[in-house]
Amino acid sequence: MLKTRDLALDAPDGGLLLTGLNLEVPPGGNLVLAGPSGCGKSRLLKVIAGTERPRAGAVAIGGVAIWPGKGVFTLAGQVRVGLAFARGGLLANLSLQDNVALPLRFQGLPMAQVEARVAAALERFGLARVAGLRPHAVSECARRFANLARVLALEPALVLLDDPLGGLEARDRASALGLLEHWASDPVCTLVITAEDPSLFSSLNATHLQLSQATHVQEPS
Amino acid sequence: MAWLARLGAPVRGFLEFLGDQAHLVVRTLLSGLALRMDQLAVVGAQTKLQVRFTGLDALWLVSGTALLLGAVTLIQAFTQLSGLGAESYIGVLMVLIILRELGPLLTAVLVIGRSSTAIAAELGSMQLNDEVDALAAHGVNPYQYLLLPRWVGVLVSVFVLVVFFDTAALAGGFLVAHLKYGVSFGYFMDSVRQALSNRDFMATLVKVVLFSGAITFHAAHFGLRIRRSQTEIPQAVTKTVVTALLAVFLLDGFVAALFYF
Repeated sequence: MLKTRDLALDAPDGGLLLTGLNLEVPPGGNLVLAGPSGCGKSRLLKVIAGTERPRAGAVAIGGVAIWPGKGVFTLAGQVRVGLAFARGGLLANLSLQDNVALPLRFQGLPMAQVEARVAAALERFGLARVAGLRPHAVSECARRFANLARVLALEPALVLLDDPLGGLEARDRASALGLLEHWASDPVCTLVITAEDPSLFSSLNATHLQLSQATHVQEPS
Repeated sequence: MAWLARLGAPVRGFLEFLGDQAHLVVRTLLSGLALRMDQLAVVGAQTKLQVRFTGLDALWLVSGTALLLGAVTLIQAFTQLSGLGAESYIGVLMVLIILRELGPLLTAVLVIGRSSTAIAAELGSMQLNDEVDALAAHGVNPYQYLLLPRWVGVLVSVFVLVVFFDTAALAGGFLVAHLKYGVSFGYFMDSVRQALSNRDFMATLVKVVLFSGAITFHAAHFGLRIRRSQTEIPQAVTKTVVTALLAVFLLDGFVAALFYF
């Protein structure tokens, strides 16, 4: 499902963040990429999602080459990707409900199906009460859950999560981890997670890979 | 060679800017053509929001400005013309000054001040908040969802605002002509009608299309270039205003030369 070859990423200051990254995750596979803050985890997820261009190397999702290529636009209508950000990512001028619904409406799904999937995804995280509020009006935890709900409603083939449990309280963490376990056990869903603390994901049947700043990273074992 | 590089840098920057503008216009046009029927409702809702903000919310400002401008123009012109005994030329003057030039130009300036700044700041803020990346990653084409509605919204709004500007300016001119000099409505409108030609309508339409494109894509260019920090937003807004004003004045001169030279 996901394949990278000799991937190199730029740091915001123009330096080299990662180099020689070779990954191969089969369909249904799970990968946890761990590393300290600033080592390029979030940037790597954006490169894999096709929204940021790598300095060098190749990325393919579901056999579709996105780098070198047109990035995320190559995937349109071919592979559904869900990307949950550690911060941000929700449209500030839309309610949580509309944020979750937007990708589905843009896919052209019937309205009844959109409403059912949005309601189920929001209910899964207990967000029904605040569904009509905009992101700035809800807690940080609700924003993180709304990001996950948007991915859940989309039913993607590739799920990319940027530090999904970081900063959550124990109860909220358990709720999010339940969803992650569901994705991890789904044979048609490929899961890639980045995190500072990989031990939080020890319950997942996933390959773990340690990233470090400006280092040559080998293929995961 | 360092001085040569310093000399070439602004030229290269300008060519990159032009290339990016062309890229944005072409990608937005192509994505507009690729829009599916089931996506129209989503894009249409965004377009309506843009029309409300750029057009409806600016209606009073534009109309009021135009009313005053029309009145002042006529006071100044009539004082001179009546001295020369050429009152019948008030229509020609109103058409030449207001309808041909100041109507589209001042409307564009007001829209730059109100809306292009807002578009640049909004897109910049969306970039920083990863909203644009989130849209693209989830299959929502940013050209279709962000740029196309803004372009169409600004286009519709500028057209409507120019119509209101011209109408209000003529009304202001007529009020002064009637109250101070006793000119009748029929005489005033006949004078304007005789001075107007189809070429003026065409030139105004071309200006509306070009100005709205310049306003939208300058804002999009500088807004979407923001990558790192909030402090880039005011810089992007300033650059948008300066370059969009310059572009609008250049385009105005180009259209004037094309139609009237």
